[in-house]
Amino acid sequence: MQDYYKIVSSSILYWFSQKKWFVFSIIFALIFISLPTPIGLTVPAYHSLIILFMVFILVTSEPIPFPAIALLTLVLQVLLGVAPADVIASSFMNDAVLFVMGSLMFAIAIVHQGLDIRLAKIIIAIFGKSKRLFLAGLMVVSAILSSFLGEHTIIAIMLPIGLAIIKNVDSSTLDGKNAILLVLFSIGYGTIIGSIGTPSGGARNVIMINYLQEFTNIQIDYWDWIKYAYPILMIQLVVAYFVLKFAFPTSLDNVRVQGYKRSIAKSNSATNIKHLFSCLIIGLIITSWFLFNQELGLGIISLCGVLIFMICGMVPWEVINKNTNWGVILLFAATISLGFQINETGAASWLVEKFNELTSSFPEDSSFSWSFMAILTGLTSNFFTSSATTSLLGPMAIELQPNDISFGMSAAIASGFSFLTVISCPTAMIIYSTGLVSIKIFFRVGLLMFSSSILILYLVSKFYWVTL
Amino acid sequence: MNILIAIGGREYSKLTLDLGMKVSNSFEASTTIAYVGKKISQFAEKDVSIVHQSLDERQLYRPGVRTLEWAYDFLKSKEYIEEEKVATFNDYLLIDEEQSRMRVLLKGKHSNKINLILRTGEIIEQLRSEVQDNNHDITIIGGGNNKGMHHDLVQFIDSSVLVVKNYSVKKQYKILLPVNNSKGSNKAIEIAEQFAKSNKLFVEIVTVLENKSSDNTLKKILERTEEKFSNAGIKNTATILEGNVVKRIVENAGDDSIIMLGVSPKNPITKYFFGSKPISITAQCNCPVLVAK
Repeated sequence: MQDYYKIVSSSILYWFSQKKWFVFSIIFALIFISLPTPIGLTVPAYHSLIILFMVFILVTSEPIPFPAIALLTLVLQVLLGVAPADVIASSFMNDAVLFVMGSLMFAIAIVHQGLDIRLAKIIIAIFGKSKRLFLAGLMVVSAILSSFLGEHTIIAIMLPIGLAIIKNVDSSTLDGKNAILLVLFSIGYGTIIGSIGTPSGGARNVIMINYLQEFTNIQIDYWDWIKYAYPILMIQLVVAYFVLKFAFPTSLDNVRVQGYKRSIAKSNSATNIKHLFSCLIIGLIITSWFLFNQELGLGIISLCGVLIFMICGMVPWEVINKNTNWGVILLFAATISLGFQINETGAASWLVEKFNELTSSFPEDSSFSWSFMAILTGLTSNFFTSSATTSLLGPMAIELQPNDISFGMSAAIASGFSFLTVISCPTAMIIYSTGLVSIKIFFRVGLLMFSSSILILYLVSKFYWVTL
Repeated sequence: MNILIAIGGREYSKLTLDLGMKVSNSFEASTTIAYVGKKISQFAEKDVSIVHQSLDERQLYRPGVRTLEWAYDFLKSKEYIEEEKVATFNDYLLIDEEQSRMRVLLKGKHSNKINLILRTGEIIEQLRSEVQDNNHDITIIGGGNNKGMHHDLVQFIDSSVLVVKNYSVKKQYKILLPVNNSKGSNKAIEIAEQFAKSNKLFVEIVTVLENKSSDNTLKKILERTEEKFSNAGIKNTATILEGNVVKRIVENAGDDSIIMLGVSPKNPITKYFFGSKPISITAQCNCPVLVAK
């Protein structure tokens, strides 16, 4: 009997130790619900903020699977009377969610084609004259491709190239260690920076476009976004080049660019045809994003890309099904739905009011609230991931200055500055998962990059966006 | 007997492997060496998985494979294992056995004695799952300074746990065997006997009296254990200590002992919130500790 008791209590304790943040979030929620509703807030609005708080805790600490967090968000919205079930269901699916789903699947289809070797050949042909030029090329190509195809696609294609050229580098010497870090960070920063460039670069961009359209009737198409974001991307690339050069001084002695070129020289006709066809499909989808994004929506176009790959037999459904992160899709759908309700119930306006009251003693300059929002979204995204940050903080950023597009755009772009933590975006996590980059190094270099990125964003929004 | 050795970075794992294989060889046990890779956020787990598959296809291999290869070579160089000539592979084989667990078969290398396992995730969760699914009797892990991890290891891993703290191959070690009337202590005595016999180590048997009614029982257990070890031909001394159990054992152990003691019989909830003597000893001592369950 005593053994039985020990086994049961030990299992319960283990469950608690693993799920403690889930238990705490429930306790916090119950405490808040039992408190009187703050003045100026309706009950549904108050409850939507409590759910928002719970989601923050659960997503950052991950005590339960993402699909469970998504379902909990939906269920709580109905149970706590935030909105009726039909309204929640209709806000659950929109073009942003379709885009998340389409872009994840499209990425799998592209990576499945093995385009990294083809790409490596092109980069070596253009930038292979020197090792430093090659690394700069790797960063620029990563950024440009990631701006159109998303960082999770490009890091999966570029990382094998990076790891192949550092295969023989001796990591026990400082020079070798720096060479490894320089290569990995060049690819990583390239893809992270690139993801702000176009709406299809990251789900957060599409989420913000949707919010701006829904809440303020401002329409931003593919071209408009590029006009706003690409100058920032280009300046960031130059800054990143020098930051990395300063952070990781190295002779690049054992980085083998030409050796790698020789090892990948052979390719057969079947592969050539497959690669050519893949490039045609990718080109077609990118062109469609430019031309038909308003009529068809970015999500539907990316799903078309997946469809073509599947119909042509270039990627089996099993591969897509196995590698698609369905949990993330559900979670984004649920957080976007919550974001809509935070706006609809007036909770976003209330938060903005409170923020304005708090800052009333500061000079009446929109720069202050702009900086606060940009830094808040930037920092939050580093602990909460960028798309979830935009879906939850986006409505408040827009509400701060509904007539000034720069607030919403800055929030979305700043949430792409995932330079501080390894959990902030897939690129950071993939680089970290190689075991070659520590959390400390990522943060140290990232701090420099994050600060300069916020400054660049501020200067561009202040002096360039006003001219558009 | 099944033994699990958890390894991390190469520099720190040499000593864990060395002591781990000494324990394993003492029991002629089947040994699993597990590398637990970094925990991946749920946001990126599929992306990371795709990249790792892609790396495997290009023979760049996911993190951990090279560490396991190094561990295998290290054990071979120290003659802890012999290479079988039967099975050789032209390439590394990574067999996905279940979620987060992969068995690694190294290129051109094979030993029936060693299983190489790659796991990904939170270390306590992964080791607990490995022990539960594969019935490991002893889990061996490097020391480090993470007291919270020591606590969780002893609390949640369903096997005896050996924490390899401040171990040196050059040092001549003795076994410090604190005994009492718990089930765990009996298990510790069994393990210590086998390990001492096999490695010809001196055993210092101790019991700590705290002025309780059980003091006479403890004295009898001490005498019985001394007799058991002497009959087995193991050199030993039996000492009665008095005072604070944790303090006296840590003092007595110094840095040249391997402490082998039983898990606390207290109920798990009390242990979780208030700790236990074995957990405190593991955290405070400056030498390897085995907590037997």
